Amino acid sequence: MSEGLADGVGVARAGHFETVGQQRAAATLGIWAWLITELLLFSALFLVALITRILHPEATVAAAKHLKFWIGATNTVVLICSSLTMSMAIEFSRIGWQRAMVRAMLATAALGGLFLVLKGYEYYADWAEHMMPFLSSRPFALAETPPARLFVNLYYVATLLHAVHLFTGIALLLGMTWLAAKAGFLSRHQNWIEVYGLYWHFIDLVWILAFPILYVVNR
Amino acid sequence: MRNPLATLSADDRALLRRRLRTPVLTFLALLALLAVNVTLGATLPFAQVWIVELLVVAVMVSLILLVSMEVIHEPPLVRLFSGLGFFWVAIMVGMTLTDYLAR
Repeated sequence: MSEGLADGVGVARAGHFETVGQQRAAATLGIWAWLITELLLFSALFLVALITRILHPEATVAAAKHLKFWIGATNTVVLICSSLTMSMAIEFSRIGWQRAMVRAMLATAALGGLFLVLKGYEYYADWAEHMMPFLSSRPFALAETPPARLFVNLYYVATLLHAVHLFTGIALLLGMTWLAAKAGFLSRHQNWIEVYGLYWHFIDLVWILAFPILYVVNR
Repeated sequence: MRNPLATLSADDRALLRRRLRTPVLTFLALLALLAVNVTLGATLPFAQVWIVELLVVAVMVSLILLVSMEVIHEPPLVRLFSGLGFFWVAIMVGMTLTDYLAR
């Protein structure tokens, strides 16, 4: 949605669209079609986490107690902050405040980077605690409870997949920030910021689901 | 490329307040809901606390979808797409859990 665009802010119509409005709606619908496929992908992983809890409650709780609850909570705060800066970038783009928009986009990328750094530290702490059952060279800390492997492996698949999405998102965001800093960007491609913002908020949404399902309800 | 934040006029300030009101309120609401979940997760006050935690998550997801992702302001076709995505998830989760919980 793009209510209240300032003068000089808008979208250059591509030849195969009849109107700019049609072009904007097609772009928004396109990103939503893709986000739905992503939603189904992550939902299946979270569903397996719930099933693991139902089938092997003791082992799942034992494994979840090793997760770094406070790092997960801090990372959730970081992503919520990044959602705010992304929303600010979108609003700045609509009113034509280009430099403020670029700074908000850079802040969003920096917060995404902070999330990955904290996640990397969390993985390191897991490694130090022998909580990587897929490493043949390091004995698994919960080897006496085999179903714990299921939950821990699922935790890595889900969080790594999310981290890959976030890393890709940061790379795309930095590339778009470079383009968005150029003169005339907002008069031709303002909706790129809005479409990208949907992706970023979706990454946030996935983590909002991942944190309670993996870290909180299994404690 | 001027920097309006450096020298804001009264009109600019009013514009900024109007534009950022919803994102900032959403941000504060998300932080408050997260604080509820973190507190519940850290203290585990009763056995069925997971029900409350999942309800809080549902509210957070709704906030992001409807306000941050602006689904509430989108045309009907986009609203249908976003709703369908969650409808499919509901079918998947519902049918799967019906099996496991009924065993």
